[in-house]
Amino acid sequence: MDSQNSQSVPQSIGKILPESINNVNPPFPSKKNSTKIKDKLLLIAGFSAFTIALLCIFFYLSFLSSNLTIRFFIIGATVIIVSNTVVAILLFSKKTTESAVRTNEEIEINAKNNQGHKFDGEKRDDNGQSSKYFDETTEKLKASYFEDLEEKIQDKTKALAQRIVELNFEHKKSKEAEEKALIEQAKEEATLTSIGEGVVVTDPEGKILVFNHAAEQLTNWIASEVVGRFWFETVPAMYENGGLISRIDRDMYKALTTGKKVFAESIYLQKGARKITVAITATPIIFKNQIIGAVEVFRDISHEKEIDRMKTEFISLASHQLRTPLSAVKWFCEMLLNGDAGELNTEQKEYAQNVSDSNERMISLVNSLLNISRIESGRIIIDPKPTNMNELISGVVKEIKVKSDAKKQQIIVSVHSDLPLINIDPQLIREVYINLLTNASKYTPSGGEISVFISKKDDKLISQVSDNGYGIPKKDSDKIFQKFYRGENIIKIETDGNGLGLYLVKAIIESSGGSIWFESNEGTGLPAGRQGTSFYFSLPLSGTEAKKVKVTLNSSNVYNK
Amino acid sequence: MSKQKPTIMIVEDEWLLLQAISKKLELNGITAIPCSSGKEAIGCLDNLSELPDAIWLDYQLKDMDGIEFLGRLKKKETWTQIPVIVVSNSASENKINNMLALGAKRYLLKAEYRLDELIPIMKQFIEENKS
Repeated sequence: MDSQNSQSVPQSIGKILPESINNVNPPFPSKKNSTKIKDKLLLIAGFSAFTIALLCIFFYLSFLSSNLTIRFFIIGATVIIVSNTVVAILLFSKKTTESAVRTNEEIEINAKNNQGHKFDGEKRDDNGQSSKYFDETTEKLKASYFEDLEEKIQDKTKALAQRIVELNFEHKKSKEAEEKALIEQAKEEATLTSIGEGVVVTDPEGKILVFNHAAEQLTNWIASEVVGRFWFETVPAMYENGGLISRIDRDMYKALTTGKKVFAESIYLQKGARKITVAITATPIIFKNQIIGAVEVFRDISHEKEIDRMKTEFISLASHQLRTPLSAVKWFCEMLLNGDAGELNTEQKEYAQNVSDSNERMISLVNSLLNISRIESGRIIIDPKPTNMNELISGVVKEIKVKSDAKKQQIIVSVHSDLPLINIDPQLIREVYINLLTNASKYTPSGGEISVFISKKDDKLISQVSDNGYGIPKKDSDKIFQKFYRGENIIKIETDGNGLGLYLVKAIIESSGGSIWFESNEGTGLPAGRQGTSFYFSLPLSGTEAKKVKVTLNSSNVYNK
Repeated sequence: MSKQKPTIMIVEDEWLLLQAISKKLELNGITAIPCSSGKEAIGCLDNLSELPDAIWLDYQLKDMDGIEFLGRLKKKETWTQIPVIVVSNSASENKINNMLALGAKRYLLKAEYRLDELIPIMKQFIEENKS
C-alpha cells in the first residue's frame, strides 16, 4: 500500500497535463470538478457564439457594400483570428490553472487518507512545496500569457490599422489613376471626333488602330470594320494617271520605314471605288528610338483642286485674249514712232511713247501671269542644254543696260574663270537673271552700282546679284517671294511692278534643283556702302534634270535669240 | 522682174493686225498678200500665178486653226515648199509642237515682238529657203 501510494503521488506530480485528471482517483469524483467542466463548456459555447456573431456582422457588412468586400473580409478575418487567439489563450491558461488546483486537492485528499503513515510529515512537506510551486507557476504563466497576449493584440491592432490605412490609400490611388485615364480617353475621343480631317493611326505593320469620324466620312468605311485591317489594303491610293500606288510607295509606309514626316497629295479609293483627292500628312510615332506606329491626317482637296484648275484655265484664257489687242497697240505705236505714217512732232512722239511704255507694262504683266499659271499647273518644260554662263550673262546685261544706262548705273560682272558648260535650261535661267537685274536697277537710285558674281562652291554654281539700292525692309523679308507681294518701301518709289518677278524666279530655281536667298540692309540712315540687297541662288553643277511637260516658259522664245 | 521683190502671204483674222503687218512689210520692200481667213488664203494660193516666198500665219483663225491650214497646204506638193512662220498669241501646250511637227518653221508670240524685229526674221527665212 505504502509503496503504491508513495508511487502514485510522484506520478501525478510528474503529469501536470490535463489527461492526468482522468487517471487521478476515479473513486473520488468531486463536486468542484463538475462545475469546472460546466464553466469550460459555457466558455466554449460563448466563444463559438461570439465568433459566429462576428462572422455574421462581417458578412453583412460585405454584403451591404459590394465595393468594399475585400476590405471587410480582411478586417473580419483578422478580427476573428485575433479573438480566436485571445480566447484560446484564455482557455489554455484556465485549464493549466485548473489542473494545478486539482493536483493540490488530490494531494490533500491522499494525505487525509494516509493519516498515521510514518512518512506523513515528509509527504506534507513535499505536498506543501509542490503546491507552492504550482501556485507560482500558475501566476507566472498567467502573467506571461497576459503580457504576451497584450503585446500580440497591440501588434495585431497596429498592423491591422496600418493595413487599413494602406488599403484605403491604395484604393484611393488606383481609383484616381483610373479616373485620370478615363478623362484622358474622353478628351482624346472628343478631339478625334471633332477634327475635320481624317485621322488614322496604325501599328508598325500598317494595321489600323484608330479611325476617326472624319476618316469614316472620307473613305466610306466604318471604324469597326477597319480597325485591325491593313490600311494600305483597305484604302488603296492611286496616281493621277489611274495606276495604283504600291504599298512601298505609300506615304504612310514611308513614314513607318523612314521615321520621317511625309507630306503629299494622293487620290484615295473609297469603299465603293469612288475617288477622292486628298492632302496627306503622315507622321511616325517614335518611342525610345523605335517606330511604334504612324498617324496619318488627310483631308479632301477635290474642291480646292477644281478651283485651282479653273483659275489656271481662266488665267491662261484671259492672258491669250488680252494679248491680241496688246499686240495691235504695240505695233501701231511702233509704226507711229517710226514715222511710218509720217513724221511726228516732239510732243506727238512723247505721247505715242507713253502709250507704248504703258502697253509694254501690260504685256509683261500678262506674260508673268501666264508663266505663273503654267508653273503652278506644272506645265513647264525644263529643257537643259550645256550652257556657257559667260555668254548667258553677257546677253542679259546687254538687255538690262538700256534701263541701267538711263539711270546712270554701273553694272559689274565677274564670272569664275574656270567654269565648265553647265547643263541648265538657258531660257529659264536667263529669265532669272533678267528679273534679278531688272529689280536691282529698278530699286537702286540713279548713279548706283549693280554687280553680278558667278562662282563655284563645292558642287554648286553660286550666282550673286547685288545692288546698293533701297533694300528690303526686315518685316517684308519672309513675304518677298510671295505672289503679288511688293516691298512696302519700294511701292512708294516705283509704281511699276506686279510682285510676280521673285515668285517666278524662286519657282524656276527650285524646279531646277537649286535654292535662292538674299541679304538686305534697308534704311536711308545707313552709309552708302552698306545699304542695298544681294540675291544669291545656287544651281547644281551636275545640271538640272529635264522635265518634259508641254510648255516652255515663253513658248515664243523657243527658237528665238 | 517682180521676183526680185519678195512676197509674203499674211493670214491673220484680226483686221487691225493684218493692216499693220501689211503696211510694215510694204514699207520694208516686201509685197504683202493679206488674207483675213484660212479659206481666203487657200483660194488665193490656188489663183496665184506665182507662189509667195513665205506665209505669215496666225494660229487662231475664224474659220480654221493653224493645224488645219497646214494640213491643207500639204495637199499640194508645191505648197509644202513655202516656209510657214506662225505668229500667234496662242501659246498653249500642244499647239506649238504640233505646228512645228507639221512643218512650220517658227512659232513666234505676237505680243513679244516689235514689227521691226519680225521683218528681218521673215527676210532671213526667205533667204534660207532660196539657198
